[in-house]
Amino acid sequence: MVKTILFLSLLFSSNILAKEASEKLQKNCMHCHIKQKIPSELIYRRYLKKYSTHSAIKKTLLSYLKNPSRKTSIMPKQFFLKFPEKEALDLNETDLSESIDAYLNYFDIRKKLVLP
Amino acid sequence: MLTNEKRSHFRFLAIYLSSTLLLFFLATFIFYNFQRHHIIDLQNTALTEEAAKISQSLRELSTNFSSTLVYPHNPPFYSAIYNLDKEYIFGSFQAKKVLWEKEYYQQDEKLFYIHDIYPYYLGASYLVLSKEINKKPIHELVKTSLVFLILAIVLFTLLGLFLGKLFIAPMKESIETMNRFIEDTTHEFNTPISTILTNIELIETLYDCEGKKELTRIENASKTLSRLYEDLSYLKLNHNYQRDVQSVDITSLLKSRIENFKTLIEAKELDLTLKIEPNIFLDIDKNDAIRMLDNLFSNAIKYNRKKGQLRVTLNNTKLSIYDTGVGIRKEDIKLIHTRFKRANNSEGGFGIGLDIVGQIVTHYNFSFDIDSTYNQHTKVTITW
Repeated sequence: MVKTILFLSLLFSSNILAKEASEKLQKNCMHCHIKQKIPSELIYRRYLKKYSTHSAIKKTLLSYLKNPSRKTSIMPKQFFLKFPEKEALDLNETDLSESIDAYLNYFDIRKKLVLP
Repeated sequence: MLTNEKRSHFRFLAIYLSSTLLLFFLATFIFYNFQRHHIIDLQNTALTEEAAKISQSLRELSTNFSSTLVYPHNPPFYSAIYNLDKEYIFGSFQAKKVLWEKEYYQQDEKLFYIHDIYPYYLGASYLVLSKEINKKPIHELVKTSLVFLILAIVLFTLLGLFLGKLFIAPMKESIETMNRFIEDTTHEFNTPISTILTNIELIETLYDCEGKKELTRIENASKTLSRLYEDLSYLKLNHNYQRDVQSVDITSLLKSRIENFKTLIEAKELDLTLKIEPNIFLDIDKNDAIRMLDNLFSNAIKYNRKKGQLRVTLNNTKLSIYDTGVGIRKEDIKLIHTRFKRANNSEGGFGIGLDIVGQIVTHYNFSFDIDSTYNQHTKVTITW
């Protein structure tokens, strides 16, 4: 009984945390991305194609988002003809990290793949 | 075929067949392994081809932004994609343990192939493919190898038999020539020896001759020739000889044979000691018993030194003849039964005596023991 309660409370708290992170992602990132029609999934796929693991993507994104520039971006030059160059986010380290995690989790390729 | 020929034929076949078959087993084993590797390589190639197809599909999927992405799965191939940290992403199977250090490997009757992917479409750095080993061609290969081996065994056995006969032919011819020579010679010996012995007996009976000593020498020499003739005839006829096994009074026979050698014993001034128990009977062909006793006595006298000792012991279980002659070297004792083998060439003879004794002893399942010290003594014991 105690175990069940503990498990349910853990599940509940993790859901809350995930919801909070998702809200942060919406507020800090997706809001603008949607507004400016920036293809978030395409960016995710491009990072995935280059770095393979979420941990490597996160490390690179974290570094980029702190100091974004065309030179450090992995997106092609043509991308910046269509979309504006990103400005540095006014977020603390924790919020930035949580937002990246939520971003990676949201577009996680494993959630999309299915067997025929 | 004579025993020697059979033995030589058998030895040749044994050496020829064992070496040939060993070679064939080795060749078949190498052939089997080589072909098996070839079959596995072909199946690995199929894995490689499938990997290329999946890689292409992954590349296409990486630009597909639908809500679901259908992973390429084409049975009997199973595959899974792993990221750069070798963490499982997705797949149609999940390997228990991936051997990352190998490109191709086998595990639990399955073939595995690890294909590197770059760029990392969908984050996939490695594509692991698996397929059950198709055993049908391997079973076919086993069958073919076995058929090949059996055919080779049959063919080479027949060839061995043919070659064996071919190789043994000169030896057979030599033996036959020698046998014919012995047969002719012995036949020619018989009449003059019989004439000499008969006439010596007549001279001894009818005339009181002065040259008795010389006459005894002639008699001894003639008897030696006569025994040689009988031994050679025995060996020649031995294969077709019909034995008449009956209870023979060995005590009486032994005494009569000693009597027959008396002149030779006296000529060599031997000290004869007899320990013969009465009424010893043995189930044996009389001619065999005579040949055996005569040969033992002949050797014991011939190779004895002058004024030496000759001890004959007969009891219920054995016969032993002891002489103080030249003896036999330790290394020669094992070979002394062999025909034409002579431990000492100081005396005349063909070296067939102990071969005859050996044949008789073997035929009646007696045991034959030679105890000898070189230049001192020899004791031959026959136990029944």
